[in-house]
Parts: sequence; C-alpha cells; structure tokens
Amino acid sequence: MTRRVSPILVILALLWLLVVAGLALLQPRVIALSTVTTVLQYSTILALVALGQALVILCGGAGIDISVGGMVSLAATAPLLFVKAGLPSLLIAPGCLLCGLALGIVNGLLVTRLRLLPLIATLATFYVYSGGAVALTAGAAQAGVPPLLLPWGRGAALGLPLPFLTLALPLFIATAVLLGWTSYGRWIYAMGFNERSARLVGIPVDRVRLIAYAASGMLAGCAALVSLAWLGSGRPNVGQDLELTSLTAAMLGGISILGGKGGVLGVLAAVLLLVTLQTGLLQLNVNSVWQVGIVGATLVLVLLIDNLALIWRTS
Amino acid sequence: MQSKRRIVWVAAALLALIPSLALAQDTKKKVAFVPQIVGIPYFDAMEAGGKKAAATLGVEFIYQGPVDTNPVDQMQIVQNLINQGVDAVSVSVLDASSIAPVVEAAKAKNVKLFTSDSDAPNSGRALYVAQATDEGLGFTIVDEMVKRVGDDAKIGIVSGEATASNLNAWIGYMQARAKDKYPKLKLLAPQFAGGTAQRAAQIATDLMTANPDLKGLIGVASTTCPGVAQAIETAGKIGKVIGAGYCSPNTARAYLKSGALGYSVLWDPSDLGYLTVWAGKQLIDGKAIPEKVTPEGMSHPVTFDAKTGILLLGDPAVFTAANVDNYKF
Amino acid sequence: MRRFLSPFGGRESLLAAGCLASGLVFAYLSPYFATADNLFTVARNSNELLLIGLGMTLLLGVGGIDVSVGVAMGLAAIAVGRLLLAGAPPIVAALAGPIVGLALGFVTASVVVLGRIPAIVATLGLFGVYRAAIFLALGGSWLSGLPIGLTNILTANVLGAPLSLFVVAIAYLAVFVAMRFTPFGAHLLASGHSEAKARLFGVPVRRTLIAAYVVSGGLCGVAATFYVATYRNVEMTIGGSLALEAIAAVVLGGTAVTGGRLSLLGTILGVALLRLLQNGLLLVGVPSLWQTVVTGLLLLLVLGIETLGGSQLLGRVTSAFATRPARGAAR
Repeated sequence: MTRRVSPILVILALLWLLVVAGLALLQPRVIALSTVTTVLQYSTILALVALGQALVILCGGAGIDISVGGMVSLAATAPLLFVKAGLPSLLIAPGCLLCGLALGIVNGLLVTRLRLLPLIATLATFYVYSGGAVALTAGAAQAGVPPLLLPWGRGAALGLPLPFLTLALPLFIATAVLLGWTSYGRWIYAMGFNERSARLVGIPVDRVRLIAYAASGMLAGCAALVSLAWLGSGRPNVGQDLELTSLTAAMLGGISILGGKGGVLGVLAAVLLLVTLQTGLLQLNVNSVWQVGIVGATLVLVLLIDNLALIWRTS
Repeated sequence: MQSKRRIVWVAAALLALIPSLALAQDTKKKVAFVPQIVGIPYFDAMEAGGKKAAATLGVEFIYQGPVDTNPVDQMQIVQNLINQGVDAVSVSVLDASSIAPVVEAAKAKNVKLFTSDSDAPNSGRALYVAQATDEGLGFTIVDEMVKRVGDDAKIGIVSGEATASNLNAWIGYMQARAKDKYPKLKLLAPQFAGGTAQRAAQIATDLMTANPDLKGLIGVASTTCPGVAQAIETAGKIGKVIGAGYCSPNTARAYLKSGALGYSVLWDPSDLGYLTVWAGKQLIDGKAIPEKVTPEGMSHPVTFDAKTGILLLGDPAVFTAANVDNYKF
Repeated sequence: MRRFLSPFGGRESLLAAGCLASGLVFAYLSPYFATADNLFTVARNSNELLLIGLGMTLLLGVGGIDVSVGVAMGLAAIAVGRLLLAGAPPIVAALAGPIVGLALGFVTASVVVLGRIPAIVATLGLFGVYRAAIFLALGGSWLSGLPIGLTNILTANVLGAPLSLFVVAIAYLAVFVAMRFTPFGAHLLASGHSEAKARLFGVPVRRTLIAAYVVSGGLCGVAATFYVATYRNVEMTIGGSLALEAIAAVVLGGTAVTGGRLSLLGTILGVALLRLLQNGLLLVGVPSLWQTVVTGLLLLLVLGIETLGGSQLLGRVTSAFATRPARGAAR
C-alpha cells in the first residue's frame, strides 16, 4: 500500500477540471448551486454501491460483486412487499438495510464457504436477485413508502442533498478511516495483495471477506433506502445497470481489479466525475448514447495511461 | 509537480474568464421531450413531429432520452433539463412516479412539466398529451382481434418490459374488455420479453407451442412486434395465428403484407410529437386550451378535458395491409 | 489438460442428467414439450448462444473474459443488415458478419493483450463504446423487415437438417480439432493455467491470447449473421444480456473461469439446459419473468452440487461405463 499519489487520481483530477472548464465555457448558466445539488443527488446511489464494490474488490481473491444492482432492486421492493403483508411501515428503513445485509451475506457465504469464484457466485445471485425483484412485483412499482421519508430523500441543506450528506459522505469517510487507520484495513490490503501470505500471518481471510460482501449488501440496502425516499416508491428495476457503472467507478477510482490497491476516496471522486460528465453532456444536449461510449472509452484510456505511466516510471 | 501546478493555473484562469464570456440569452422558448428510451422508431417519429412543430411555431425543440429503462436515468435527464432552464419539459414516463421528485423543482424554476405518451396522473403534472385513451387502445386491439378470430378464441399477450406502466395499463384494459364484453374469450396471462427481437420471438414461439389452439398473439410494446411477427412466420402459422400489436407501419409493413400480422393499432406518433410541442407552447404562453381545437399546422381537431388535464390526439387508427403504405413512420 | 478429452467427466454427466431429468419432468407436465417441432425451436433459439458460448469457452480457458460479446455481435449484425437492405447477395451479407466480428475481436485483443488492461475491465469499457457505436451505426432507428434471402439460405435443408445446424457443428468440430491436434490447444490451456509458467516453457502466450480473442470475435460475427437471418430485425438493444448468459452457460458446462480447463461438450450441454429450461417453464405455465431467477438458481445448484462432491460421484459412476479413463494427466 503506497502513499504516493497514484497517476489515476491525477488523471481523474485533470478530467474533472476539463469537464468543468468545458461546461463553464459552453454553458455558463450551468455553474450554479442547483447543478451541484443535482450532481450530488444523482451520485448518492451510485456512490454507495460503488463503495461496496470497492470493498469487495480490495479484499482480493478475484473479488467482484456483479449482484449489487440486483441487491438494490430487491432491497427496495421486498420491504414494501412485507409491508403489504402486514409489516408496520416504520420498519421500512431498517428493513431495507437488513434485506441488503442478508443478500450480501448470501454472497459472502457462497464465496467463502462454498468456495465459488466470486464472478460466478455473484453472477448467479445477480440473476436471482434482479429477476426476483421483477418477478415478485410483476414489474409494478411498489407504493407504501412512509411520507416521513420523503423530506429526507428529496431535501437539501446548504445545497447538499440530505441523503448524500447524512448517509453517503459519512459512510465514505468511515470506510476511508477504517481502511487507512485500523488493523482491519491493513488486513484487507494484505489479503488483496497476497492472500497466501495473509493467511500464513494469521489474518482471518474468510471472515474478513464475508464481512466485505455483507457490507456490500448493506450498502446496497442503503442505496435502496435512498431510492425509496427519493422516488417515493419501490422500483423493481432501480438497480438496473448499476453493476457495470459501479465497477467502472471503482476502476476509475484507482481500485486495482486484482485487489490490494486503491482507496475509497478515489472511488468517490470517480463517481462524482462520472455524474458530472453525464450532467455536462446532458446540459450540452449531447445524445445520451454518447455518454455510455465516452465513459467506456474513458475507462479504457485511463487504464492505458496508468499502464504507460508505470512502464515509463520503471524503465 | 511543475506541470501539474501549471495545469491548475490554466484551468483557474479559464474559469475566471466566465464573467466576461456572458453569452447572449437565447430569446427562443425551449420545449423539451424525454422519451422512455432512445433508438426506437416510435419515439424517433415523435421527435420528427416535435421538430416540425418547433419550426412552425417558432420554438426550440430539445429531444433527450435515456439509453435504458432505469427510471433514475430518465429522471436525471428531466432534472438536467429543468436545471438548464428550458421553458417546458414533457416526459413519456416509465412509471407513474417517475417525475414525482422533480415536480417541485420544476415549479420553483417556473418550468412547465407535463407528460406525453405515458402518464403520471397524480404527480402534479400540468397536463397529459394522450395519443388515445388507454381504455380506447386496450379495447380497440381486443375488438379488432375478436373481429378476426371470433369471441371464443385463445389469445396470447407478449409485452416488453414489465416495469412500463403505460403498457401495463393497456393490458389491464384488454383484460377488462375481455371480461366485460367477450366472456368466452381466453386471454392468456401476459409474458414479458424485454427489449430484443430474439426474446420476443422465443416467447411468442413457446406460447404457440404451449397452446396449439392459439388464434391470436398481441405484441404490446413496439419492440415486440418484429419478434412476434417473425415467430408466426417461422412457425408457418400465417393465417392460423393472427399477430397484432401497437407497431409502427415501417416495422409492421413486411409482416402485414406477408400476413403474419393481421393489423396494427396505432396513432401517428409524429402527430403526437407535434401536439406535444404545441401543448408546451400553450403552457409557456399561459394560454388556456379550449375543449376542442385544431392546433396550428395540424389537420384535425383535438380535444381537451380540463378536469383530468388530458389533451387527446384522437381515436386509435387501425393499420392493415391495405393502408399501411400510406404511412411512412 | 486431458480433461476436455473425456466426455464423461463429472460436470458433463451432471448436466446431461439435468437435461434428461428436466426433459422428463416437462414432457410429463406438458404434452407439447417432447415434440420434434418444439425441440427444433429450442435448437434454433440456441444458435447464437452456442456460437458465442464457443468463443467464450476459449476465452475463459485461456484465462480471459469478454463482456462485450453481445454488443460486438450487434455491430456485426448491423453490417449484415445494411448489406441486405442495400440489395447485396445474401452470401456477401452473410460473410460480412464474421469479417466485422474478426475485426472487433482484434480490437479487443489489442486493448487486452497489447494494452495490458485486465480483460474484465477492458471489455467493460469496450461494451460501452460498442453500445454507443451501435446507436450511431443504426442512425438512431432499427433495421426492420430485412429481406428473406439470408434466412432461406440458413434454413435450407441439407440432408434433413437446416444448414445452420451444420455451421454450428462445424464450428465446434473445428475448435475441437484445433484444441486437440494442433499446438494451439496446448498453448491455450497452458496460458490459461499460468501465463508465467507457460512463457517459461516457450509458449507464445501473447499470440495465443490474441488468437483467442480474434476467434471469439469471429464467432460473434457468425452469430450476428444467424441473428439477422432468424429474426430479420436489428434493434438498438440487440445482444445486451448475451455476454452474461454465455458466461453462465460456459461455466455451467465445467469450464473454469480461472483458466486452464475447458469443456466444449459442457458448453453445448450448458446452453441446451438453459434453453430447455426457458422453453419448458413457459410450456408448463411458469410466467416468463421467473426465467432469470431459474437461471441463477440453476447455476448455484450445479456449482453447489459440484462443490459438495456430487458430480465427482456421478463422474465415477459414468466413467465406469466409459472406455477411457475419467481423469487424465494430473493438472
């Protein structure tokens, strides 16, 4: 775990400046507080999910979580289905979190107990969770979100959306502290860097990995809660495509796919960059299909540059 | 370190130029339309109609839509349009609660938010530009099918996304019509094929296999039309199974002529797009819409119900092999 | 390495048993399942997945992966469709598919092998790029009502079976022969097992990887031709979920994601089981929305059984009837 500024973060910062400068030139009306609020609002769900994804990847062992989108969808709809069956609606908030936690633990058990490769295990659960959310609801958005949640989901303080301020930001900071300043974090980096050595040294690799998957699930549950409070209903496809974008954000944020390298604040920066880029392109009325292409190309280019920088530095 | 710092300074300098780059405010009013998804002929036709209206009425037309059916993506586009300061935004909502979070923001910025093609009835939208009533659409397609296969036949339904509320509304009315007027009709439970021709064909074929006495197949989303029709052709059941759907004439033409599709129920989406922009302009100008009016540039009158806020394009049209060549969308 | 040579390995037997078992259940529950027509339909719907799965088998075997295969197929399909619409002879249009596919495969190979970006990330990025490219190439609309010439060629009856069946069979046979009788096979599995060790042994790892991606691209292109011929429509959402489905089918079939081991028969059985389940469930009345859930549960079931030792038992039982040893050289 090195402390030097990774070239990816530098590239990210440059890209961010480029996007903002470009926007300022072409559509100055956009440089306003409301845009910042909008960007942060739309970043919240992705940020939470990308955080979970980053944790799972950092733990190494070919860690990845393709089911994050499915977990969000199911955690957003299942509690409402329970409410229809009689659960008091006050319990929806903890319900989402518990649901996500349970789904994440299933993933963790599949990977650590059954020793399934994370790619396959989470692919299978992705099918089950996302398919389950749509099948159980027959595609209909679920009503029943307690009105108390809406002011929190849609409100803002000082221009910062409440869910971002009260949920996403604290969680990111807490995780950054965990990873950087606790032995737990050192364990995670060690596991990701070299699992065999980590085991030999006595790190409870399986337990830590299980907790990482559980955390990813709980973060998905948080994202589901945010979506409920924001949209006002439980959508069975709210997690659609999140697996790909969260992976993109994690990679752009400097997390190495092999594990053991990268920090979560970079992931937050990457999420903000992605959403700012989306916002910028939308404000310039560029067709939204270009977004998908630009993000994909950016991912490839950023990693290429990172590789080239590595070669240049070590030659 | 040197080069990094230099870059930061350059960027800061550029940012400082903003005040001096005050762009002249555009005096044309902007009307935007957000479809459910881009890249399908139906919404392309709406876009064409919107552009025509913009040219005739002297407004600027913005067309911006999501690339997938995630409701958050659609909302992001609507929010950005509101932030951009367009004067009116119409949305073909993926779900009735799609625009709920942005209604307040729209009011605060004095942006007229309304729905078109798919409604969000209780969200506080200004009005709804409807192609035909959901009821009319559901009823017509069932009536036309019964005309061709009789009122005691078995009919299958293949829809697109289970999460699209307007499609589900039409299916609901189909089922209601069948229950009320044709009690002997056997309408099978809808199956959902997503957005590809392959899945639609696969499901349509399996439905025909599972029910050899199937007489009709209704494709509810315009994306299911080619798949359903091709399935009927491949299975060699032209004439034995009547295909139908809410298909655009260009997509349906080959199949209407081959007989795989018996008919298609639709309206002219470019007319709908035109009406959408016209409605936007009325809202911006603050003009009340009369009960019956022929908008400037359109060839037939439309009706408006002030109580429900529904601006109705007209009755659904039925395309068959005979008249499909008159339409080019 | 000789794993793929023995068709009666544990996983294949498990899948074959699964196909048989589910087939019997469906046949009992629905009178329309076990008909020639229905089974031909299932086979016809499996063509694209079989071809893309074949490419994915090679990729997973060499330790790589490609999540952009579906949209690559889409791009190739646009080429085929546009040629058909322009009036080109169907044969020319048919060849456009594999040609575009090979080119795209080369692009993927460059990014992954020459750019040295981890395959899953690189192909994730390419997925986005290709999706945008599809939209741009389609001009924002669809290609509909494509001429029937190509369809007629692929469904042409050759010795009682459609030509498409032969194409798929030849593809699998060609790969089998390459894997077994040419150095390519050994190189591929060695590279998948361990790139470093393979290099030490003189295996041309980079060339093998590039070849794998290019071949996979070519197969996607052939699948594109099949798609256009079968469905006569190229829509913007084409191929979106095919990559994950292919990975699921290939993994079901016993090919290891970590590389070094692959099973062609397993892929065929995996695709067959997936498509049979989708077909059978609809025939017995399970709503189509549950099909994805069943796919996921199936994966978990098969992998769970294997981990808990079930398929080893099955393999030992069936290998008692086979004439060649069930387990070849140690890995």
